[in-house]
Parts: sequence; structure tokens; C-alpha cells
Amino acid sequence: MPPSDLPEAATERLGHGAWSSALSVPDFASTLALGLEPVGFVQGYCVMQWSWYQQGTTAPFLGGYGQPVANAGSYSEVYRCPHGMVSAEHRTFGYNWEQDWLETSWAQGWGLAYQRMMEEAEASGAHGVIGVLDAAAPLAGSSTIEYSIRGTAVVVPDSPRPSRIFSTFLSGARLAKLIEAGYTPVSVVAAMSSVQMIGYCITRYQMSGQANMGWLGSVAGVSSIAQVGKAQSAARHLARAKVRAQLGSDSLHGAHLDQSTREFGEGDMAIQCVIKGTRVRRFKDFNPLPHPPTVVPLR
Amino acid sequence: MADEEIGETEVATDEEAAHPFFEGAQLPPDAARRLAELEDRPGHKGMFTSDLSVNEFLLIKEVGFHPVGFVMGSSIYHLGIQTRRWSQSQELAKLTEAMYNARELAMNRMDAEALELGADGVVGVRLDVNYYEWGSDTAEFIAVGTAVKAEDGKSYRNNQGKPFTSDLSGQDFWTLLQTGHVPLGLVMGTCVYHIAHRSLGQTVRSAGQNIELPNFTQALYEARELAMTRMQDEANELGATGIVGVRLEEKTHMWGDHTIEFLSLGTAVVKTEGEHQIPVPQTIISLDG
Repeated sequence: MPPSDLPEAATERLGHGAWSSALSVPDFASTLALGLEPVGFVQGYCVMQWSWYQQGTTAPFLGGYGQPVANAGSYSEVYRCPHGMVSAEHRTFGYNWEQDWLETSWAQGWGLAYQRMMEEAEASGAHGVIGVLDAAAPLAGSSTIEYSIRGTAVVVPDSPRPSRIFSTFLSGARLAKLIEAGYTPVSVVAAMSSVQMIGYCITRYQMSGQANMGWLGSVAGVSSIAQVGKAQSAARHLARAKVRAQLGSDSLHGAHLDQSTREFGEGDMAIQCVIKGTRVRRFKDFNPLPHPPTVVPLR
Repeated sequence: MADEEIGETEVATDEEAAHPFFEGAQLPPDAARRLAELEDRPGHKGMFTSDLSVNEFLLIKEVGFHPVGFVMGSSIYHLGIQTRRWSQSQELAKLTEAMYNARELAMNRMDAEALELGADGVVGVRLDVNYYEWGSDTAEFIAVGTAVKAEDGKSYRNNQGKPFTSDLSGQDFWTLLQTGHVPLGLVMGTCVYHIAHRSLGQTVRSAGQNIELPNFTQALYEARELAMTRMQDEANELGATGIVGVRLEEKTHMWGDHTIEFLSLGTAVVKTEGEHQIPVPQTIISLDG
């Protein structure tokens, strides 16, 4: 599906008749009060074939003796066993490495869905898209993922078309407060990072609850699992860096971090981190809000 | 792979329409009796029933409406499965029609109860689908809500002479009226779509790659747009200027994960004449934790 090829039904829907909006009624009222008017529910989708494994990665299959394929410039770390040869099952090496091929695929799927939503907004003559919601879910089987991004296109009546349409996860009163605070939304931003971890012997002992064996000494008792901690920290750091690269000199509002872990063997896991938020730009100085009264609702 | 043929679609609309129970606004005897007991008439003090919370009741009264009764409509429908091509994404038009008709029947019966009570509208409408063990491929579509009547005697019925319907809560109904809009009807559009299975060759050729599957994207995109377009067509027929609170629901019901119903729902609204000044919301700090 070429990026600029919207379905025919979309072009017809956005061209005439009643507008539609995914805003709740309170958000709709706040939007009108803000001087914006909804022009249409806009959406974009991208179905991707999805595999968590890259061809050529041998580490999970050779008992830790295979080498992961980390691209130049990507994060990777090697952990070496301090014990020497113990048994054939003993993991003498551990690896943490960034799966940048997975990050690129995620960015492509999310980016295409976003681009299509913005094309619908463009077709409806919008100035911006508010109340953006995004999701990624398996579709009809485990090997496909559908990225969906939806929102409500709005216009500022009697204003010229902007050179670039804005988008934001915010809507209603929260959007009004952002503007009152002196910021204007620029666009939604999101990034995903993925770090795969193949645990070495100590990590595997710690994760299986066997770390209090006397001869392991330094990891006995309650202690942090260093390799896992490094992998999680790297995933968060990478996602933050990717989002920061999209901000330019602007700020990120309402940052939301979602970290998930997939375990695929004893001591082996993939950590995925998604950060998203609204890129905002200051356009006026902040005037302190009047002191809000306190209330007790009678529920 | 050969085409799947799992069963025949039964669209029971014509047969049902011929049944005396479904003609016009004729209600089941029990419903008519229940509604008659709610009416205020000489020699009989009426009362209302509603599923409104106390806060909703308060706000509905505040904007000049009074609840007149809890109304409902239902339709038990046999949903067959039409022939699908294994490797082709396509709309299952007969199933789309069946899902649409079943909900329309439930909504019309709820409207009939509201009309019986002389209502101007129905708020807080919930549209549910229930499945029972006793009926294979059978579903009950049910619409329930609280019928309301304007206290100023002005009619709020829509251009089809029916009470307006809306899935708005009492709070949302109050807020909508403050914006200078009134609801016209709960509008919906549906599209039942079969998603193609991938052949072994296609799967093998793209093994190990994370790439877009354009045909799938296009098919699902089209299905959702069709549902949205149908919803907007309903709103246009009501003379609406817009639809608020649009929801896009996706359910596989009992068809397996390759057949999905895309249902879009929202409340069609029209702007009333005259200028409306929306009150500026006041910032507060709630002390209820």
C-alpha cells in the first residue's frame, strides 16, 4: 500500500456530510470553548509481518557460545563466566545487545500508520489532530501486528491553512491547560527500543534462585541481577535518546514509558521500551493560574 | 486451499416482519402492561423507572427534562456464516446485513416503548450482544436506556418523528446542551470482514523479515472506513451536523480470528439556532482523594 494511497472510502467519508469525532462530550465542549471545531475522525493503519528473531542470531541456540549480531554503533555488552569450565550446560558467556532491526521495523509500522492518519487530516482540511490514540496488537495470528493511530481532526475557524498540521495526545481541558501554560502542541512523538539478553551463568543462577550457593560468593543472598539491570537501563536510555532526537529544541509533554519483558528461555529475555508523548513548543510566557478553590464532591 | 463453507446465512428480517409482534409499534403484552403502569392519567398516579444515577437524574432535571421510564428492545437473531474464500480478504455482506438488522430491530423496539411513553428521547442507551448456550450461532441483541420528556412541552424528536436516542450519560447530556447542540440519534455503521489466510509460499518468502503486508493493511483500512461511512450516512439522514463520542469496536464474535466485525457508534448531534456561550471551566482541587 503506497503511503499516499488512502482507501477510496476514506476520501469519500471525509469529503462531505456530518463531521465525526472520537472526543467525549466534555472534551468536545472544551474543544469548542478553546475555539477549535472538529471536522472528522481520522485514522491510519499498518499491518506488519512480525518476528522477534533475526536470521543469523546464533547465541540462543548454541548454549551461549554463538555470537549475537550487533550492528556498529548499537549497544552491546559481553559478560564472561568467572568459574572456568564447569559443565557443558554452564553458560560461559552472556550477551546484551540492541535489536536495532526490530526498532527500525517498529518505527516503520508506527510511522506509516501515523503518516496515513495525517493524510486523512490533510484531506479533511484540518489544522491539527487532537486526542490521538495509538495501539499495536496481533492480528489474526501471532505473526502479524497491526499498528493503529486514531484521532479527531480539528480546524481553527476563519484561519488560513497551516504549513504543517499539528497533532497531540491531549484533548479537551488538558489541551486547554497546556495552551494556557504557554505551550502549543507540535506533534506526537514515539520511539521503541529493544534489547535482547542472553544470560551468562551468574545471571541464570540468580534468576533461578540458586544464587546463595557458597562458591558463587559475590552474588550470595539478596542482590541485584546486574545483567538484567543493565539491559533494562539500556532499553530505557535508548528509547529516551530516540525520542530526544525527534524533539529538536522543543520539549516533551506527558511522556509515557511502557516497558515490557518477554522471557524465551531460562535466563534469556527481550526487553522492549516504548516512550511516547506530545512535542510542545513555548509560544508565550507562563502566567500563574489563579489559586484553585478546593471542593468535596457529594458522591 | 478450497473455499470454506461453514453454513448458510439466515437473514430473518422478512419472516420477522410478518409476525404480528414486530408490526409497527406493537409491543409484547407484558411490555404494554408495564408501560401503562408508568403513565400518569386520571385515577392513576404514574411513576417512572430509570437506570440513571442520582447525579444523572439531577442534571437531566436541571436542563429541563424528566425521566418517564426505563425502556428496552431486543432481538434474538440466528447468525449464519456465509461462504468465504480462504485466500481473499472480503466483506461478508450478508453477515454485515444481519448484524445491522438485528441491532436496528432492537433499537426500533426500544423506540416503540419510548413512543408509548410519549418520550422525546432516550439517554444512556447501551447496545449489547449476548450469547447463550442454548442457541448455537444465535445471539440476543439488546438495547436499553432511559426515556426522557422535555418539561417545557417542546418536541425534541428527530426528523423521522422518533424520540432521539443517545449513549450519552446524564452528565454528558447536560454538557452537550451547554454547547448549543442537541442529540438526534444513536448512529452506527457495521462491516463484517473476512481477513485472508496467507499461503505457505507467502509465509516462506517473507520469513524472518518484519515488513508491511499492504493487502492486509488495505483490507482492514477499507473495512473500518466502510463502517465509519455507513455511520455518517445514518447521521446525514437525520440531518445531523456532527457525531460525538465515536467508538470503533472490533469483535470476532463466534467466527474465529479471521472474521471481524467493525462497528462504529456515536451520537449524531445538530447545532441549535442562536449563539451559545460555553461557560469557562473553573479549575478546582478535589479533596476526595
